[in-house]
Amino acid sequence: MTSQDRYQWRRDQDGLGVWEHRGKVAVAGYGHSPVDRRWDGVTMDQTVGAYSVLACQKAMNDAGVTPDQVDGVICCDSHIAGPSGGSASRWAPRPYFDPPYDSELGLTLVNAGWLIKQLKLPKVKFAPSGVPSIGEMVGMASQAVGDGRCTTCLVIYPCGNLEGRYRRGGENSEDYARGARQWTVPWGNHGGNDFINIFPHNQYCLKYGGKHDDLAPFVINQHRNGLMTPWGFNASHGIDQLTLKDYVTSRYILNPLRIWDCDRPVNASTAFLFTTAERARDLKQPPVYVLNHSQHNFRQRSTQADLEVIEDWTDRAARRMYEGAGLGPADVDIFNPYDGYSVMSQFFLEAFQWHGVKRGDALAFYAGDIRVEGPHPFNSSGGNLGNGRTRSAMYTDSIEQLRGTAGRRQVRVRAETALAAFTTPSSGGWIMFGKHPS
Amino acid sequence: MPRLISFDIDGTLEVGDPPGCVTMRMVRVAKDLGYIIGSCSDRMVSNQQRIWRDHDIAVQFTVLKHQLDTVKADFEAESYYHIGDTNIDRQYAQRAGFEFFLPDSAVTYFWLPT
Repeated sequence: MTSQDRYQWRRDQDGLGVWEHRGKVAVAGYGHSPVDRRWDGVTMDQTVGAYSVLACQKAMNDAGVTPDQVDGVICCDSHIAGPSGGSASRWAPRPYFDPPYDSELGLTLVNAGWLIKQLKLPKVKFAPSGVPSIGEMVGMASQAVGDGRCTTCLVIYPCGNLEGRYRRGGENSEDYARGARQWTVPWGNHGGNDFINIFPHNQYCLKYGGKHDDLAPFVINQHRNGLMTPWGFNASHGIDQLTLKDYVTSRYILNPLRIWDCDRPVNASTAFLFTTAERARDLKQPPVYVLNHSQHNFRQRSTQADLEVIEDWTDRAARRMYEGAGLGPADVDIFNPYDGYSVMSQFFLEAFQWHGVKRGDALAFYAGDIRVEGPHPFNSSGGNLGNGRTRSAMYTDSIEQLRGTAGRRQVRVRAETALAAFTTPSSGGWIMFGKHPS
Repeated sequence: MPRLISFDIDGTLEVGDPPGCVTMRMVRVAKDLGYIIGSCSDRMVSNQQRIWRDHDIAVQFTVLKHQLDTVKADFEAESYYHIGDTNIDRQYAQRAGFEFFLPDSAVTYFWLPT
């Protein structure tokens, strides 16, 4: 086992140049568990642990890899609801079950060690702890394979969700807001991005024109794409297509953020199999090459980032990605930025200038044809808004589009490169995929 | 004059996600007793209507959670009750002038013999 603490894998600086492993690492497989709203606390083959095992098996099957060939396991070992998850993120003090469910592992958390045991992986030599979330994790896997830390690496992103109020535990359930929280919590900030992004979003509308509900075409299209994603929550649970009326009459969570601007927490797990480009060419699926990865954790200048700061951060993230991939905006075919709150996607779209969209253009762009059948198939995955908070749809769709296996979501435009991310404007990571290694 | 009960769905009704302790049988009993009944949920209205249709229960209203006040405006009743499982339900019920019940206390109050 290797701790990630000593392994410097991040590409989180400006001016790093073209990634040294560009095109030498590939994604060879992926697997999704079913996506449930919550674990019911009873059905043991539907725990986040069981779902993670299932996702890994599917990813190995998809790639044509056997357990004895896996030598790397990178699993995000924190809970998606975070430390304020409360009863929605921790099984205790309820009694545990027989092994392997005799601790939080498998019920609310999953780590590499637990998975290696359940999957009976005999040759794992790289299994770091303290693994970040999926936006950075895929970069970690890319770098680890490129650096030779492992050659066949499972990358797992578990998203557990129990009954209870999501993110309403811990300090969020206290009557008092202490420290820096006193400046934000009384206005509704509970650790998510709602308040963080709403302020610059309102500034955006003032500066460039437009109003909040101009996001409706984007959100509705995310739901449409989600309904064309068979494994996603909406498609697998009979959720109706969101309409304009549904959107504009929906409840404010934090004005002007509406309930449909927020993704739906789910109980699910996703796995990807990263390997060397050379090995991937001998596996079952056409390789999807990694052309670059980058991370960022920009320094907060204040308790509240404003539009100017967010535009600067996202511009820098875009420059890093394009520089490392040796590509520019015109080279990107598939663009799957994060959409956990709809109000932040425009910052990414404009920073990366996908399909020529410049600062202030996003709302008009949303009003055009962004369907997968059209000329500008923005966020063809449906993202989190269309599939539930798996945070993995952006990656899977990118892989499927480049393979040509996205089914009803398959874009009609060229699909040879793809950008995907789970990131906020301030922190997270991006990855660039290619159908070809160069 | 009839009384009116508004049902939240998730965490309240047995068909919710998560399931609540108010059964569809209880809803039917309330309807048979003459209550004006309907749902008030964050689910899309079309989805609420489908649930009632699937269970063959004719309801008088299906509204979004923040639209509970429109129910009071549309229906004249002796008393207005909202049954829901969250503080959001409580907030909107109180704002609209409804008496609020958590699901388990509602079961005791409305359906268990005294």
